[in-house]
Amino acid sequence: MGTLLDIRGNNQRKVVFPNPIPLALSGLLLAGLLPMLVLCLLSCGQKPDSGEDAKVTSMGSYEVTAKLAEIRGEFPDDPLYDYAYLMKYEILQVHRGIIDSNVIYVGHYKPLKPRDGVADVRSGEIGGNLKTFRVGDIHRMALEVPIEDYFLGGIMNPYSEEYSGPVHWAVWTNLVIQ
Amino acid sequence: MHTAVRICIILSVLVGTPSLWAQDQAATELLHEVASKGWIAYNARSENGTWDLFLSRPDGSHRLNITNTPDYEEVAPRFSPDNTRILYRRLLQGKPINHDLWGFEGELCISDSDGNNLQVIGKDGEYPWASWSPDGKQILCLTRKAIQIVDLATKKVLREFPRQGIYQQLFWSPDGKWLIGTGNVQGKNWRVVRINAESGELNVVTLTQSCTPDWFPDSVRVIYSTRPENQKSNKGYGWTQLFFADGNGENPQLIYAEEGYHVYGGTVSPDAKYVLFTKFPDDGGGAEGSGAPVYLMRMADAPTIHGESPELRSQYPSAKNGTIAHLFQGWEPCWTYAEIIKEK
Repeated sequence: MGTLLDIRGNNQRKVVFPNPIPLALSGLLLAGLLPMLVLCLLSCGQKPDSGEDAKVTSMGSYEVTAKLAEIRGEFPDDPLYDYAYLMKYEILQVHRGIIDSNVIYVGHYKPLKPRDGVADVRSGEIGGNLKTFRVGDIHRMALEVPIEDYFLGGIMNPYSEEYSGPVHWAVWTNLVIQ
Repeated sequence: MHTAVRICIILSVLVGTPSLWAQDQAATELLHEVASKGWIAYNARSENGTWDLFLSRPDGSHRLNITNTPDYEEVAPRFSPDNTRILYRRLLQGKPINHDLWGFEGELCISDSDGNNLQVIGKDGEYPWASWSPDGKQILCLTRKAIQIVDLATKKVLREFPRQGIYQQLFWSPDGKWLIGTGNVQGKNWRVVRINAESGELNVVTLTQSCTPDWFPDSVRVIYSTRPENQKSNKGYGWTQLFFADGNGENPQLIYAEEGYHVYGGTVSPDAKYVLFTKFPDDGGGAEGSGAPVYLMRMADAPTIHGESPELRSQYPSAKNGTIAHLFQGWEPCWTYAEIIKEK
């Protein structure tokens, strides 16, 4: 149905599909609708996830859901020297503990690596399901404060000129999918 | 070969040979000068493939393997203040030595200075970054929560105070008044800082990224490695240089630097007339491999710059071309003038 048969002289047959959509419209579809479709499929493939699990709800003294507002600068890629990197978060919800500010600064250890593989003697037990840090993503985190009491390593602080308050230490970091 | 080329080669050899010979001669004289000045302890790869502890005379002779344990990797020996014992860590065979993490790892061990009468003080990871107290009866430890002073006889924590951002390499001054370590301070990491052992007051020693601090015998000056930011060489990464400064951060002075090498493991002789260090093309001092060549230099020759080192020489135009003498391949040397080995 809906096909034409091209009878060739050499008895080869080619099946030709009629194109009901004009060429220009096809281009529009490819350029515009297809990426949207892919995005839709991708997002539809991820179920909403509050990031809640047994670790994030029990570890640390604080638990928040927060939006990663800023990563200032670039994470140094130096395998010889491990470090924690400070990132800026906007608090969306405080689940445990009392945090007065809407904005907090959180130190994440070895930020170029997935959270489930970064723990070592400097950090103690830390982890989570987060794979990469992207501005705008929402994280559910178990935290401690101040970072200096919990982390035995170098801290890179791109906010040192403008912020001198307490810095939180990311104990457990899960990705939230809305 | 063309005659002109031959003449050039012969001339360059004739011109260069006396200079090389003079360097060798000067190094030999330096080695003779220190040969009978006690012993150096260090860790190095042994024939069994693991890191073992060695003693040698300060000229590199009379090398003695004092652990020789195929089942363990021993690192970072430190003589007790009375020179009768050494403190070090040992890890299970095959465990890599990380240049920054070794103080957290393995068991703390104390033995006689010749390696006899081993005592394993703690379990794996206990007593992190332990170092001697001035009287050798206590150890200073750096835990996640605090700096601790632990009595060796009872293993009791005698005193505990905030570590104030220090995260590795913690050492007590010989006079007992100060602690020196590497830490985060004022929003910057990798700073050498000093803490008053009585009041807990902290001061910054280095304003550039630095590590591996150690005391001079006078408890006033501190030796450390530093890789100043904004170096252009080595693709902007720069090279690590050996420095010393007063404990209050004043009078920082270059000891040795050479473009093409990272200089670590700095430690001075008991009279502060000589300095030991390692130099290695790769950053980290070679701990993850087989160590690095250990060199000896007179402190009177500081500041010394070797190699072409154009960036360094423009920064230190009056630097000397002091003599350095290669001793052996190793890591984390320390020096005593005591005659700890009875030689036959």
